[in-house]
Parts: sequence; structure tokens; C-alpha cells
Amino acid sequence: MRILVLVRKDLLRAWRDRRAFVVNLLLPLLLTFIMGLSFGGGIFGKSGISVIPLVAVGEDVPSALRDRLAEQLAETDFFALEWADSTEARRRVTRGEAAAAVVLPPGAVGDYFRGEELRIDVWKDPGRPLKAGIVEQVLQRALRQVQAGEAGYRALWPDDEESMPPGAEEDTWSDLFAGDMNTVWKRWRRVGGEGGFTEVGEWFLARMDHQVALSDAMAESRLDLAVTDAAATPDVAESREINLFSYFLPGFSVFFLMFGVAASARDLHRERAAGTLQRQLLAPLGTNHIMTAKWLSSVVQGAAQMLVLLVAGAVLFRVDLGPDSWSLLTLVVLTATAAASFFMMLAVVTPNEKVMDNVSTTVVLVAAMVGGNFVPVDAMPAWITYVGRWVFNYWSNSGFSLVMVRGESLAHDLQPAVVLAAMTVGYGLLALAFTAWQRRRGGLL
Amino acid sequence: MIIVENLVKRYGSHRAVDGITFEVAKGELFGLLGPNGAGKTTTIGVLSTLLPADGGRASIGGHDVAGDPGGVRRLIGVVPQEIALYQDLNARDNLLFWGRIHGLGGKALGTRVERLLELVALGEHARQKVETFSGGMKRRLNLAAGLIHNPEVLFLDEPTVGIDAQARTKLLALIGDLAADGLTIIYTTHYLEEAEQLCHRIGVIDQGRMVAVGDKEDLISQIGDEDRVRVQVPSERHRALTSAAETWPGVDSVSERRGKLEIRVADGGAVLPPLQAWLAAEGLDLAQLEVIRPNLETLYLNLTGRGLRE
Ligand SMILES: Nc1ncnc2c1ncn2[C@@H]1O[C@H](COP(=O)(O)OP(=O)(O)OP(=O)(O)O)[C@@H](O)[C@H]1O
Ligand SMILES: [Mg+2]
Repeated sequence: MRILVLVRKDLLRAWRDRRAFVVNLLLPLLLTFIMGLSFGGGIFGKSGISVIPLVAVGEDVPSALRDRLAEQLAETDFFALEWADSTEARRRVTRGEAAAAVVLPPGAVGDYFRGEELRIDVWKDPGRPLKAGIVEQVLQRALRQVQAGEAGYRALWPDDEESMPPGAEEDTWSDLFAGDMNTVWKRWRRVGGEGGFTEVGEWFLARMDHQVALSDAMAESRLDLAVTDAAATPDVAESREINLFSYFLPGFSVFFLMFGVAASARDLHRERAAGTLQRQLLAPLGTNHIMTAKWLSSVVQGAAQMLVLLVAGAVLFRVDLGPDSWSLLTLVVLTATAAASFFMMLAVVTPNEKVMDNVSTTVVLVAAMVGGNFVPVDAMPAWITYVGRWVFNYWSNSGFSLVMVRGESLAHDLQPAVVLAAMTVGYGLLALAFTAWQRRRGGLL
Repeated sequence: MIIVENLVKRYGSHRAVDGITFEVAKGELFGLLGPNGAGKTTTIGVLSTLLPADGGRASIGGHDVAGDPGGVRRLIGVVPQEIALYQDLNARDNLLFWGRIHGLGGKALGTRVERLLELVALGEHARQKVETFSGGMKRRLNLAAGLIHNPEVLFLDEPTVGIDAQARTKLLALIGDLAADGLTIIYTTHYLEEAEQLCHRIGVIDQGRMVAVGDKEDLISQIGDEDRVRVQVPSERHRALTSAAETWPGVDSVSERRGKLEIRVADGGAVLPPLQAWLAAEGLDLAQLEVIRPNLETLYLNLTGRGLRE
């Protein structure tokens, strides 16, 4: 099989290429390690936390946002959140009915969206094995969700008066978090109707820069947490233990996989520039052979990279990879194949390495954001998951959440696997068809 | 072996190859000589089946380039203008790879690789990464990669670009040996001396057109075989010398050129005695004199109105 000769060559090159090795494997490992440490699990600290009843106070928080947050926290399996007024909250904490009260002082949410720090008071029950750090983690996570919503929203609709009616800020936010896609969708259609599709496209690209900047901003915490003990109460039994890191590890690994696979696909441009692609075409090999081989070596490299990260997480941080290792392996491979097809397609439609680099970096960041690599998919605002369905990593993340977090087999919910397989085939065939067409016109060289 | 008829290749509206015609016999070393952008690489691209032609026909060893590209590819080896090698692999792994994708393998491939490495004098650097090679070493390995599957026809696209005189001499000797062994070669270059020294026949190509084809003597005879004798004398003597020279045997014309007088004559040697006598009579120096015999450079100037290396 000549394809295997080509794959072997790519793998040999990847193996000999120290920089790729560092960027695709050591760096992600290091970042995973740091992340793992910051979540404090595994062999480096406490192994997990239990499901914790919380009570929240926020007189002026819009009710749509309240419901959404309570729902999301419930979905995490870590917390049961209820909203109450401050007297009731204090009562519950002192009685031991809630582990802590999270208090958003009046005006705090509004200030937050005006760019201030979010000031949150936590009254905690000193009898509970509840670390301020864990509360902080969870609040950070909730905040990131809000920030992700904000970033995504701002990326799609500019900050001007027209698209954001003055004085309606809080309504807009609650629309968004209540998953009111209608309102949101109308704006999109209005833009499309006026200028035609090209204009929308260009305008959307212009937003992307903004979005990348915002994704940086997202990573930065603007949380000011004050934790105070309430009166002592008796211990309450611990329930199910979950390692918080298992939520994040698959997302990170898929994120790094996207960069790794994009880099392998980019090699197509390098080979074309160097003339080695042309030289391959002089051998009895068709473009389909060459493309398939490139695809296969991206798959092997991507899957290997991802497995190393997952296994490292399991070994170092006791991340639960789920009971079904075949499901996990299948998911890893499907993620790699879908990514490889997707980035191959990107490689063949871009004219050169530089354009490919810029496009793929943007695509990776945007896809990671809407597909749930930074924020778990089951904890994202509804409208983002709607957009996210169009990117393959959304389905990988859903699959990992199924297999690793919920501990089910892939067969339990076939949708992620089926969509990933379909994307693999779809993008792959598009890439092949485009290459064949280019080859006929002699544009490949 | 190679027949090219009226070949056309367009990029948009630009005709990179504009109806060229030539033939190369088996075992011949054919030079394709032309300046940058003449269409040399494009011609090779079409002949090696990588680029589809927009007009005309070409066949190699009886296989039509458009109709039977597979048959053509089995016959040809191509050494592209760029270093089409994996810089991050060593010399040996590169050759092994290029051999394998041509379906070679096992011991036969191993021996072939060793032989080629010896041939291009890289035996000692077989396990060294290509990126650490000098320009000349890369060029030689590039050549070896084009020979790995033992082709009958070899396309060499400017194989000496960017290397020093010594490395070039070695490479040219190597190519000469390959031709002597019976390989049919098309060799493109914009170095006149290389084409003159190495090639059996030369096609001069400019702006996608073949402006002249033939062996060196054929080509030169195309511009007539007049010598030009240039002599520098003070400008107030130009008139006197012109009228004197017109009476000398074989002189065709006398004209002024950049402050010198140029005498066109069938045989430059024949005007030297009368010229010498005239100069002596006028009390002038003989040192300011040159005889220009027709060569490819002058042919090229004649055909295209441009120098090869502007
Ligand atoms: N891919 C391409 N797209 C558009 N024009 C091209 C392309 N490749 C070559 N050309 C044009 O075709 C003409 C011939 O180019 P070609 O590369 O064949 O010249 P060449 O004789 O090999 O020159 P050089 O000595 O610089 O290698 C040039 O004018 C070049 O600009
Ligand atoms: Mg060229």
C-alpha cells in the first residue's frame, strides 16, 4: 500500500520534528498539568467534592437569568441552587440546610456588565467540608459562561445603538440566557436582508477579531470573592464524589487536537511550496492517495495526542475516563477523523500556508468557544449550543460528556458518534472533490 | 523520444508557453535555454503531466502526455527547479521514500539508494538531515531523487541555480556522464555557457516561443557568420578610418557604436593587416581593438533584442 508509505513518511517526519513534538504534546501536557493542579485533584490533593446545596441571593437579578443559573448548576451534579431573599438565606445556612449562601449585592450584576468586578459575598457553613476555593471555581465557571455568552453575543452583534437598544441591556441579557433565539435571530435576519449575504459574511469576519480579543478577556477573572463563616452546624453526610477536572480535560484535549490536526493539514501547503507534492504526483499516485494519506497521518497524530492527554489526566489527576474504554477510544478516533477531514478541507480551499494559518487559528478559537471546549456543552446558554451544533468539536464534547462524565456507553446516545462520522465523510469528500477539480485545472501546482 | 508540437499553456490570458515545437532523440541531451519567465518550467510541467496543456500535443516514448499520463510518468524522472525534498529527513530516508512511492522496495531499493548516494558523492552524508546540507549537496540529492526509479528520460530544471562554480562543474560533469550512459535529458538553463558546453542540441525559448532550435553551429549560422572588428580611435579620425576600411577586402559595412568603430567583415583576420598598417600610418595604438566572432550570446541578442542576464 503506497498510502502507508506516505503515512509512514509523515509520521517519521513528525517524530523527528522536535518542535512539533513540543507544541503538540509537551505543551498541552504541561497546560493540562497546570490546569489539573489548579483544580486540585488526583495524586496532588483532594480527590473530589460532593453535591452541595446552595442558596443564592440577588434581589435585582433578572428572573430568566436566575432560572438559567439554577438549572445549569443543577446540571453540573455538584450543586443544588435555590434563590431566596437574604434573611431566608442566612437562616438556611445557619440551620445547615445549605452549605453556603452566594450573595450578589444589589447592582452587582449590572456593574459587572459595565466592566466592573463582580462582587460576591459567600456566607458559608463552617461545619461543611466546603473550601472557598471550590466555590470560587464554580463561580468562575458560571461567570465564564456569562462571559462566553457576552463574547459570543458581541461578536455577532456590534456594540452600536441600533443592535443594542439603549436602556434594554438587561432585557437583552435575559433573552439571551433564557435561550430566546427568536429575538436574537431576528437581528441576524435584519442584517442579512439589508446587505445581502456577502456583506453579512464580511461583517461576520470582521467580528471575529473582536471575538478573539474577547476570548482573551474571557480567560481573565473579574471576580471579587468574600467568604465569611456563618454559625456552626452539624455535619451532613457526603454524597457522590466527582472530580471537577473530568469536565474540563476532554474539552482541553479536543482543543489541542484541533491545533495539532490543523498543523498536519497545513503540511499540504508546505509540501506544495517545497515541490514535494508535485514530486509525489509524478509517481504512480493519484491525488486521492495523497490526500487520504495526509488525512490518515493527521488522524493518527491527533488521536495519539488526545489519548496521551486523557491518559495523563487519568494517571496524574485520577480523572475518571468512564467505564467504557471502547466508547472512549471510538470517540477519540472519531474526533480525530472529523477534525482531520475538516482541516483537510480548510487546507485545500485556502491558497497558501499563511492564509490557512490565519483561517485555522480563527476557526479553532471560534469553534472551541461555541463548541464547548472552554465551557462544558451541557452548561452553555441555549443559543450557543444552537450555533455549536455546526462544529464537530461540539459533538466530540457532547460525546465525552456522555462517556466520561455520565459514564454511559456511546451506544446510549448515538447522535454524537453518528454526527462525527457524518462530518468525517462529508468534509472528507468535499476535500477530495475540490482537490480533484483543482488538479484537472492544473491549479494544484 | 520526445515530440512536442505547437504546445500551448495559458495562465489566464497570459500565454506562458505559446506554441512551441521541438523533438528530442533518444539519448540526446537537449538544452532549453531562456531567460527568467521564458516558459521553461511550464514546458517541463506540461511534458511531465503535471500541468494540462491548452493546445498542441506532446508525447514521450510514444505515450501521449494528455492521453496516457501514466505511461509517460513511468518513463520520466523530474528534477524540479526547487529542492523538492523533505528537509527534516536525512538523505537516505528521502531516497528510500521516493523509491517506495515508485513501488520499489526491499534489497533492490537499498542497493539503488546506496549507488545513487555514491554517484552524487553524498555517501558520507547519508544519515545527515537535508536541512544541514549546503546548496550544492541539496542540488545533488535533488538530482538523485529524480533518478531513483531509473527513468529513461530525465527533465532537469535549472539544476545549477544558486551553487558555486566548483559545485556546478561537478554537477555538470555528472550530468554529462548520465547522458553518456544513454539517458535522454532535457536540460533547462539560463546560463549560456552551460548549454553550449553540455548540450548536444539547444532550443532557445523566449516569452513562450521557441525562437531557434539546432546544434550550436546551426544556431550560429542563423545569424550569419560575419565577424565584427571594433576599434577605438579618436572621434575626429572616424571619417578617415571609415572611408579607408570600406576599400578593404571582405568588408560589409562600417558603423559607429558607443564611441568605437565597428567593421563587419566575413573574416576578421583578413582586415587586421590593412587596419594595422592604417593605424601605424596615423601614429595610433593597436591596443584598442577587439574581434567579435558570432556566438550564442549574439544570436540571443539578435533573436530577442535582450541579453540573457539582464
Ligand atoms: N502558476 C502560475 N500562474 C500564473 N502565471 C504563471 C504561473 N507559473 C508561471 N507563470 C508565468 O508563466 C511564465 C513562464 O513561467 P516559467 O516558470 O515557465 O518560466 P521559466 O522559464 O521557468 O523561468 P525561470 O527561469 O524564472 O524559472 C512567466 O511569465 C510566469 O510569470
Ligand atoms: Mg523555471
